[in-house]
Amino acid sequence: MKKVITFIVFVFTIQVSAQTQYDKGMNKAFELWGANKTTKASQLFERIANAEKENWLPPYYAATIEIIDAFKIKEEPKLIAKLTKAQKFLDAANSLSPNNPEILIRQALLNVAYMAFDGQKYGMSMSMKNAALYKKAFELAPENPRVILSKAESDMGAARFFGQSTKPFCKSIQKAIDLGKKEKIDIKYYPRFDVNRAEKVLKQCMK
Amino acid sequence: MKAPLYHQNEKNTLMKTILSILLILTSFFSIAQTTVSGIVTDTKGNPIEGTNVYLDGTYDGASTNAKGAFSFQTTENGTQTLVVSFISFETFRKTAKISALNDLKIKLREDVNTLDAVTINAGTFEAGDNAKVTALKPLDVVTTASALGDFVGALQTLPGTSTVAEDGRMFVRGGEANETQFFIDGIRVFTPYTPTTNNIPSRGRYSPFLFKGITFSTGGYSAEYGQALSSVILLNTIDEPIQEKTDLQFMTVGVGVGNTQMFGKNSLSVNASYINLAPYLELFPDRNTWKDPIQSLNGEAVYRFKFKDESLLKIYGAFSYTDFDLIQENINFSNGFRFGLENRNLYLNGSYKNNLGNGWKIATGLSFTNDHSNINIENDEVVDNENSAHIKVAVKKRFSNRFKLSFGGEYFITNFNEDFNNNSNGAFNYNFNNNLAASYVETDIFFSKKLASKIGVRAEYSELLDEFTISPRASLSYKTGESSQVSLAYGRFYQNPNNEFLKFYKDFTAPNTSHYIANYQYVKNKQIFRIEAYYKKYNDLVKFNTEMPLPTSVYSNLGSGFAKGVDVFWRDNKNIKNTDYWISYSYLDTERDYRNYPVKATPNFANTHNLSVVAKHFIKSWKSQVGFSYNFASGRNYTNPNKDINGFLNEQTKNYNSVSLNWAYLLSQQKILYFSVNNVLGTENVFGYNYKNTPNPNGMFERQAITPAADRFFFVGFFWTISDNKKDNQLNNL
Repeated sequence: MKKVITFIVFVFTIQVSAQTQYDKGMNKAFELWGANKTTKASQLFERIANAEKENWLPPYYAATIEIIDAFKIKEEPKLIAKLTKAQKFLDAANSLSPNNPEILIRQALLNVAYMAFDGQKYGMSMSMKNAALYKKAFELAPENPRVILSKAESDMGAARFFGQSTKPFCKSIQKAIDLGKKEKIDIKYYPRFDVNRAEKVLKQCMK
Repeated sequence: MKAPLYHQNEKNTLMKTILSILLILTSFFSIAQTTVSGIVTDTKGNPIEGTNVYLDGTYDGASTNAKGAFSFQTTENGTQTLVVSFISFETFRKTAKISALNDLKIKLREDVNTLDAVTINAGTFEAGDNAKVTALKPLDVVTTASALGDFVGALQTLPGTSTVAEDGRMFVRGGEANETQFFIDGIRVFTPYTPTTNNIPSRGRYSPFLFKGITFSTGGYSAEYGQALSSVILLNTIDEPIQEKTDLQFMTVGVGVGNTQMFGKNSLSVNASYINLAPYLELFPDRNTWKDPIQSLNGEAVYRFKFKDESLLKIYGAFSYTDFDLIQENINFSNGFRFGLENRNLYLNGSYKNNLGNGWKIATGLSFTNDHSNINIENDEVVDNENSAHIKVAVKKRFSNRFKLSFGGEYFITNFNEDFNNNSNGAFNYNFNNNLAASYVETDIFFSKKLASKIGVRAEYSELLDEFTISPRASLSYKTGESSQVSLAYGRFYQNPNNEFLKFYKDFTAPNTSHYIANYQYVKNKQIFRIEAYYKKYNDLVKFNTEMPLPTSVYSNLGSGFAKGVDVFWRDNKNIKNTDYWISYSYLDTERDYRNYPVKATPNFANTHNLSVVAKHFIKSWKSQVGFSYNFASGRNYTNPNKDINGFLNEQTKNYNSVSLNWAYLLSQQKILYFSVNNVLGTENVFGYNYKNTPNPNGMFERQAITPAADRFFFVGFFWTISDNKKDNQLNNL
């Protein structure tokens, strides 16, 4: 009996330690991110990405953090350095998981960071690139709530830029929220739909 | 016996348990912990905070603290690779036994490839969104009020250009228009402008939407480019279209349609336009008597194919047909001066780019131009036919971020034929072949993030002139502060004489220039300031001894000249909300003795002072962008025989002033209504004077002012994009 227990304990230990490394790393990175230690979080994702060479999620999150950070930057050299780094992560994620709608909409967000910085300079090329990205993402995953929300937000941004009403896009946001609430995710650390944020976006849209 | 057995059994089990526990423990303890530590600084020894330090392929790592120090435990053993990465520094790697990765002193080298590194930029303006310093943004070409959607017009708002409004071509730093050469994807364009006649400005032949970036060099350019005495304009076409769409354009002067199709790795874009000025001239007659108003038919197609290995094949073809016939008032012809033209132009450009790996890149290209004109001048009929081709191979090798080498070879072929028919004198034929081989080699060296240089040399052999020339080029840039840098450039440039001479005489040497340029640039936070001083020396310019180049003229290479000046550029997109503006000022001092000049003089295409102010303001609530541009140029020289019968370029016209406005209204994201007025104030500008060949009874020569055909020009257009995706918009056509 004891032998069995020992054996189980032994095997379990090995399994735990094997699984822990990835989970521990990912959990720690999310924890750092949650505590607003974005540089450390991004660096940890970068390290995990270097260790887990088959998994697109770590570089995807490393890119996401860099892109979100880029929106606060006021100096162009820094912006480009940061987004170039983010692009490398996204390229890595993309080569591990081609035609992934989550990565496509992240790429669109990266392009938005350029446009937000200088619309006159980057607007023309980036808005065309994004149109193509959303088209592809929709073909791949028409019912993905993050794709729907991301596209709606981008359309709202364009409508505001041109002084038009954002109302036509509210329906899509509502649809994304409904789908997001129902969505079941079975891959660990897969991007989740943030219902709270979506509801805020919907409120802005209604205005 | 039972007991001991039991005992033994128990002991046995216990032993095994202990063993197991030990095993488990050792499985923990055998993972010996090693400490990896050190300090990270830049090359000057300043600590770098926040660098990511880790063992490659493991989870073990840390960030450096404010002192640049890091320390972390690892269970890895054996040989490992330590990676130190930080934004805008080159990533550091060290492979060693884990025990040796302790107390390290790591110096990170700055990444010279970043935006804040020094750039070699003397003489050069960049347009497009991947330039480091963008003087003109992609939208500027089509939203500059005075440019009327012509990229050449937009470039003329930059310093270093003279205002020769009746001509429309690029006159750079005291140079003639033909001293500027155009290249599409590195391949020469032999006929970049639309055909026209006296006093009607020509435009760039190619649609601005085909290009993702434009580089305008006012001097001191790379050894890759030759056969241009003053300036090169490099146009790069879009590598791949983003989506399928159809564009429609309805304008007061014509209609246009464009379509892009994508299928797999292929894509095809087609544009066509038909321009006819008859209806416009009906509404707003100008000073000319039009027998046939200008009409032109243009078609362009771009085919792109992306290979599996990411190499790219582009084939670009453009065809245009233009005709017009008019009578212009001329003081020496009582019934006016007739000029009729029928021109067709075919341009083909194929290019292939490939990354060979290991830092090698190859770009090859081929262009072919056929330009055919039927010209009627009074009683003369001239038929010109020019076939030109350019073949080029350019190779680049990147040894590191800090050292790059490029070299290549090219061959130009020009075959020119002219049939001249005069009612009374009969027929003549002139022709020549102007073939030229060239090769170049150039290095880009970054000594540090602050100091960089480019050194190259170009060799050319002209078969027609049987002449071999060597042109050295060099430039150096040094970053003086976080946002400022100074640059110097020197170069020697050769260009064969123009067709107008070569068709009569071939025993020339190539005219040449030497450029000396010093530049200071300050770029910060959406503001650009640059000032550039230059000196350009002209040697071996063509001279002849008749009123016009003729078969009987005496030709020589005894001409010479100089141009010197200062160009200032300021662009600001920060201080006024929703407003973007730039100011260009050029000071030019130039004199030359060439053509049939009796003395050294400032040519009539040079203005001493040139000023351009361009502003754009976006009004959200009106869904509109309004644009303004103001152009000022000081007077140009003309010859006044009344002042001095032997005088030459001895008087100046009054100053040139022009204010242009435009207004783009977004009906929706895909529909734009566009209005523009050039010279809205109707200022009567004078470009020079024509004097009568013979004096009147009082001994005075009567004169006629050379003025634009119309003072104002109005333009209304409606642009509509149709695509599957509603997001694509007419901003591109704004």
